[in-house]
Amino acid sequence: MLTRRNLFTFCALSGLAASAGSLSACSGVGGGDAGASGSTTVRYAWWGTAARQTAYTKAIDAFKQHYAAIGVEPEFAEYTAYQVRMTTQMAAKNVAEVFWIPSAQVLTYAKNGLYRNLDDVQTLKWEDYSKTEIEGFKLDGKLNTLPFGIFTPVFRYSQTYADAAGLTLPADGAGWTWDSLAELAVTYAKNNKDKRWAFVYNPDADLPFEAWLRQHGEQLWTQDGKIGFTADTTAAWFDWWLKLVKAGAVPTPAQQNGMAPLWATIGKSVLGIFGNSNHIIDDAKSFPDQKFTLRHVPVMASPAAGHQFLYFPRVAMYANTDKVKVEAAGQLMNQQGNVTDFLKIVGMTMGAPTNPRVAKEAEAFATDNEKQMLKIVADDRGETRKPRYEAPAGTNSWRAIMARTVEALALGQKTPQDAAKGMISEIQTGIDRA
Amino acid sequence: MTSALAAPKRTGGYHLARQGKAAHVFLVPWLVGFLGITTIPMLASLYLAFTNYNVLAEPNFIGPANFIRIAGDERFWHSVRVTLLYVLFGVPLQLGFALFLALILDKGIRGLTLYRSAFYLPSLLGGSVAIAILWREIFGQDGLVDKFLGLFGIHASSWLQNPDTALWTLILLHVWTFGSPMIIFLAGLRQIPDDLYESARVDGATTLQQFRSITIPLLTPIILFNLVLQTIGAFQSFTQAAVVSGGTGGPVDSTLFYTLYLYQQGFVNFDMGYASALAWVLLVFIGILTAIQFALSKYWVFYGD
Repeated sequence: MLTRRNLFTFCALSGLAASAGSLSACSGVGGGDAGASGSTTVRYAWWGTAARQTAYTKAIDAFKQHYAAIGVEPEFAEYTAYQVRMTTQMAAKNVAEVFWIPSAQVLTYAKNGLYRNLDDVQTLKWEDYSKTEIEGFKLDGKLNTLPFGIFTPVFRYSQTYADAAGLTLPADGAGWTWDSLAELAVTYAKNNKDKRWAFVYNPDADLPFEAWLRQHGEQLWTQDGKIGFTADTTAAWFDWWLKLVKAGAVPTPAQQNGMAPLWATIGKSVLGIFGNSNHIIDDAKSFPDQKFTLRHVPVMASPAAGHQFLYFPRVAMYANTDKVKVEAAGQLMNQQGNVTDFLKIVGMTMGAPTNPRVAKEAEAFATDNEKQMLKIVADDRGETRKPRYEAPAGTNSWRAIMARTVEALALGQKTPQDAAKGMISEIQTGIDRA
Repeated sequence: MTSALAAPKRTGGYHLARQGKAAHVFLVPWLVGFLGITTIPMLASLYLAFTNYNVLAEPNFIGPANFIRIAGDERFWHSVRVTLLYVLFGVPLQLGFALFLALILDKGIRGLTLYRSAFYLPSLLGGSVAIAILWREIFGQDGLVDKFLGLFGIHASSWLQNPDTALWTLILLHVWTFGSPMIIFLAGLRQIPDDLYESARVDGATTLQQFRSITIPLLTPIILFNLVLQTIGAFQSFTQAAVVSGGTGGPVDSTLFYTLYLYQQGFVNFDMGYASALAWVLLVFIGILTAIQFALSKYWVFYGD
């Protein structure tokens, strides 16, 4: 029978067991205090495909060989699983010292003090960047993340399919507009012998949508963390897509197997797709016999000045990083952003290098598709651009809301105007709550 | 004399005490798990249900605000409708199919063990990611079903991407995991004495009459058991919808199960306080429903004692 005395003994033993468990768990996960020999281990968290995992593991091994005193514990996951794990780790205050930041979380993490300031980290170098660029990297005036890649919005199409159909897309300039693309899409879908659609139905692709907004003089998010776009401009975007669906130029969500169809599957049935400039690197591998061409997204007649923009994937150092690990973590971040040999191993699936020196050096070993990406990013980088602001706290799921909205749009459940208003209202609710 | 009398008493108590200690030692791992993995997290989530907790900052006590918010949350009510539809159709169809197969297997056909194992297999795999992916391939665009129907000139595109059919494919997946209740039904059927059937046959009862007047009444405790268990399980379904819809509950929320919505709130929107409140609403709802099932059982369950 459990007596009072036994109960105390039991509690003490359970407590001891639990403590031992959590202690061992801590040492297992965090493992990597500065050792007696002066070596330090840092945890490095990133996301991607299996191919990216392999490439980064190789690069980490090379890094560890070069910096024998720094150990790296990789924490890799697929993108969605990565965010779930980050949430759990943040709750437990047990985040990797160096981690990639999912696009919708940049300011959410910042607001909650997840980033360590980087301006005192000696091993992280900034010499290759201009002062203007460094200012542009800052979040709320703080240099606390390192942008290590650049994406721009693009229209990518199969040159092979286009050639087979005798199709020539208008050159950049006055002829390359949203209207001309829509017209061309309808003609292509009607006339091509293989019954392909012109492109994938993805009005929820964030960068092309942002390009549309900026050309219309609006922006995705404002500097003070609000929604920067109106229902009218959004409705016009939805309307542009809806007309193409009705004309049979792009598939419905059901026809393309959902709002996020696998490129390896849908790629056979479409001429092209709107997306990010970096996607060509992985997507082209699904169709090795085809040649793909990257184009800037079309431009409306009389677009707003400075509409071009760059999106930066970022890496950060955890705010609670132990002092003895800061320089080691900085060294690892430096590799990520500033070392060409590292880039040579990992490839350019995370976009064109942000570091201008590395970007120039990368041209020497870039593949044809990577060269296309580098050029298209360099074009936009060379433009005078209006500032771009990150997604504010509370907007974590804005893309999911948009995907749901455009699904309903294609099904005829909502008009473009209602869809736009409903989407903005739902996103605003999230911001208000945060 | 006193010591001689006391000795046997002491021996018995001593053994009992030793057994008690041993029991406690063996119970410790379970108790640690029960407290650490179940009780304490449950109490923590009960507290969090009354807070605004975004995972990153400390929870902020807000009283019943999360529960008030639930009442006016359109997506919450939508997820309730989707889940109820899933449970209302999925559970009876699954139990009916399980009973049907159990009756066939109870006839003592050759290769019974093989059939039993084969039929049970989907239950082991049904809630798994692998089967959900398989389902996506079967019912997706250019999937097996679409190709088969294509032979007859029917082209339905993706069954999982059509809001009118997506939930029904998941209900079908649920029905397909009939193995577990089937095994329990089979065990129940084996408990019904053969002499009851023999007497009925002597009295001229048909097979249907035997089924209606002997099998069903004597199987009602098993039916209740399966009904309660499968209903609770169906309300907690998550993996199928999460994998098939890519975590969105789409198309247009047509597969937004309650648990998937709860997950989205907690792990996507970082609204862990609200997610905790949703979890407690589900717990209370399932508790009430189970109590109703037990209360109503006195009208239709026959225990035979």
